[in-house]
Amino acid sequence: MDLWQLLLTLALAGSNDAFSGSEDSSGKPKFTKCRSPELETFSCHWTDGVHHGLKHPGSVQLFYIRRSTQEWTQEWKECPDYVSAGENSCYFNSSYTSIWIPYCIKLTSNGGTVDQKCFSVEEIVQPDPPIGLNWTLLNISLTGIHADIQVRWEPPPNADVQKGWIVLEYELQYKEVNETQWKMMDPVLSTSVPVYSLRLDKEYEVRVRSRQRNSEKYGEFSEVLYVTLPQTSLFACEEDFQLPWFLIIIFGLFGLMVMLFVFVFSKQQRIKMLILPPVPVPKIKGIDPDLLKEGKLEEVNTILAIHDNYKPEFYNDDSWVEFIELDIDDPDEKAEGSDTDRLLSNDHQKSLNILGAKDDDSGRTSCYEPDILETDFNASDVCDGTSEVAQPQRLKGEADLVCLDQKNQNNSLYPDASPATQQPSVVLAEESKPRPCLVVGTESTHQAAHTQLSNPSSLANIDFYAQVSDITPAGSVVLSPGQKNKAGISQCDVHPELVSLCQANFIMDNAYFCEADAKKCIAVVPHVEIESHVEPSFNQEDIYITAESLTTTAGRSGTAERAPDAELPVPDYTSIHIVQCPQGLILNATALPLPDKEFLSSCGYVSTDQLNKLMP
Amino acid sequence: MDTKGSPLKGGSLLLLLLLLVSNLLLCKSVASLPICPGGAVNCQVSLRDLFDRAVILSHYIHNLSSEMFNEFDKRYAQGRGFITKAINSCHTSSLSTPEDKEQAQQIHHEDLLNLVLRVLRSWNDPLYHLVAEVRGMQEAPDAILSRAIEIEEQNKRLLEGMEKIVGQVHPGIRENEVYSVWSGLPSLQMADEDSRLFAFYNLLHCLRRDSHKIDNYLKLLKCRIIYDSNC
Repeated sequence: MDLWQLLLTLALAGSNDAFSGSEDSSGKPKFTKCRSPELETFSCHWTDGVHHGLKHPGSVQLFYIRRSTQEWTQEWKECPDYVSAGENSCYFNSSYTSIWIPYCIKLTSNGGTVDQKCFSVEEIVQPDPPIGLNWTLLNISLTGIHADIQVRWEPPPNADVQKGWIVLEYELQYKEVNETQWKMMDPVLSTSVPVYSLRLDKEYEVRVRSRQRNSEKYGEFSEVLYVTLPQTSLFACEEDFQLPWFLIIIFGLFGLMVMLFVFVFSKQQRIKMLILPPVPVPKIKGIDPDLLKEGKLEEVNTILAIHDNYKPEFYNDDSWVEFIELDIDDPDEKAEGSDTDRLLSNDHQKSLNILGAKDDDSGRTSCYEPDILETDFNASDVCDGTSEVAQPQRLKGEADLVCLDQKNQNNSLYPDASPATQQPSVVLAEESKPRPCLVVGTESTHQAAHTQLSNPSSLANIDFYAQVSDITPAGSVVLSPGQKNKAGISQCDVHPELVSLCQANFIMDNAYFCEADAKKCIAVVPHVEIESHVEPSFNQEDIYITAESLTTTAGRSGTAERAPDAELPVPDYTSIHIVQCPQGLILNATALPLPDKEFLSSCGYVSTDQLNKLMP
Repeated sequence: MDTKGSPLKGGSLLLLLLLLVSNLLLCKSVASLPICPGGAVNCQVSLRDLFDRAVILSHYIHNLSSEMFNEFDKRYAQGRGFITKAINSCHTSSLSTPEDKEQAQQIHHEDLLNLVLRVLRSWNDPLYHLVAEVRGMQEAPDAILSRAIEIEEQNKRLLEGMEKIVGQVHPGIRENEVYSVWSGLPSLQMADEDSRLFAFYNLLHCLRRDSHKIDNYLKLLKCRIIYDSNC
């Protein structure tokens, strides 16, 4: 029997081991926590290591030691109460508890220390949960949906708050019955707190927990309080009023679209301008851009001319302001070489310019405008349309300035047969021979057959700049007196031999040559030719005629003879007859007043060297 | 119009700002409430107000010292095992203060008040040196330094308040200024960093404990004197 009992107990012990072995196999007992609920007592709990079938209270022991009044009591004392706080615990009642005194406890198992801990009691305060929760209804909202309640409770009974030994603060949590998340309120010191805005149709749960002020750890939660609010159906609304955001957005968008369409497609310009103001474009005051579009240029020109006139008045004070002269639509402006060429070569064209001035669709200016005339000789291109008509009527004399340069004349003059364009080319002298450069007023003319010579004598007859004194009704320009008869534009015959002959005679070191000298060279020029050319001089197609020519006969044999006359008064302008590259110019002899004839050989003007001698 | 309105607007704005700042200051500094407005001679602030202020101050000081200790523990004391060693004596342990509720209830409130005064006085010097030494610490942690400075200041205020209370509770008795002398300065200035840190840890630990003690005593006294043990 005894043997069987022994075997049975062993079996039981084994099974116990098997069962309890899975629970805690750490092997060593450890402290879980020590806690003081009211700052008067405390208790410590630990986990048991390996379960022994036979529980021996002495197997795990707790010893404590505390320092009292500056001295550590050297001996460890055993736990006074293993029972009151439950299993695996040690309870220290108030007689064993000293606040603000350090304690150390240790756990022993079979004589060996397994765990140790040191603390002070005020550090391990965790109050008990409050008791006696109840609630009262504060008020119900007007809508009958929400209500406020006041929750009250009692502090834990063992905490001596009345004497102020411990001060607690509480935290309330509540939630709907169906929810899982608790809503937390801020800690309060008092034992009652209002809870606002609970829905009447719901049930709530409330719980409270406490902790010592200044501590971090809360105690356990109290029991849950169930709040069932009275159901009032008097003013109950089904749902909270919520703004129908969706509808508002839809309607708002719809209205905006309607307004937008009305504005965009409406014919009312004013509204349109308000909503979508037009982008400002550059605009000249007084000018309607439509005018330009329609090509009514004369009106625009008028306006611009007015503006031009105004400009000096505006900017009188500002001398640095340059006047911008508006040249309307003149692409070929820079193409030409000299103004004189244009002046002389475009006789017919210009006459037409002056005369006609029908409004072209090309938008040319009216040729009546004196302003335009001045600046716009290039606008001879303007009258291109009519120039072709004039072409055949051109005198040979239109080829006014012809380059002496043999080469160039061949190259540049003859091939240039395009009627429309006037392309005077400035021909440079050959380097081999310093020939006088001549400003070429080439006219690609039909009469290219005529050898066009630059005849200084003829040139002398031609003044490139002349003052227009009057305009005949027929449209011809009357130059001021003193001008040579341009009608007798003489062609230069190309006689390079003559030229070369004359070369030696020229005073090379002079900056320029005297006309007389030059004329001597070309004095050989047959008068006949000149005369022959002269005859048709009085064609009506002449651009201008001088006063002289009016009185004198057409036949002018004395042209050449006149030519050397260097004293014909030409008070108006000086024209450049010859440009000798690189050194000098041949000026019109008649232009300059002569200070001292002695200085001059046969020249009517002063060379630069002589000038320098004159004026040091 | 604008120029005329702006001085007025500016003035009202300034006033608002002043009010706001003063409110903030009030919230922050509990002891800035004027006890006797105008500094009248016969000003007699009620004992209740005095105690209320004292309790607020002591609570505040204990909060700060707890935070300061936690900061220090987190920063410097991790893994050094100070906790097991730091059950050293505090310099105020020589003062025989009640160690549990029964003792505290048995002691007479005058004596208790005097004890509080002694403890507070004992901490004047250590707090001063604590501030100085924390400043000199490596990477002077601002959280600790600012709190140390604040505690030092509030401790002085609390001392003044307590003296006023004592003057009101039992006037006429002027005891000698008894307090515990703190001699831990050399340990705070030790060259060995470990030892120095341990000294700091110990000091902060003691400070936390003593502030809790004072806070408790004052709450006890308040309930006893003002509310007649019925808080």
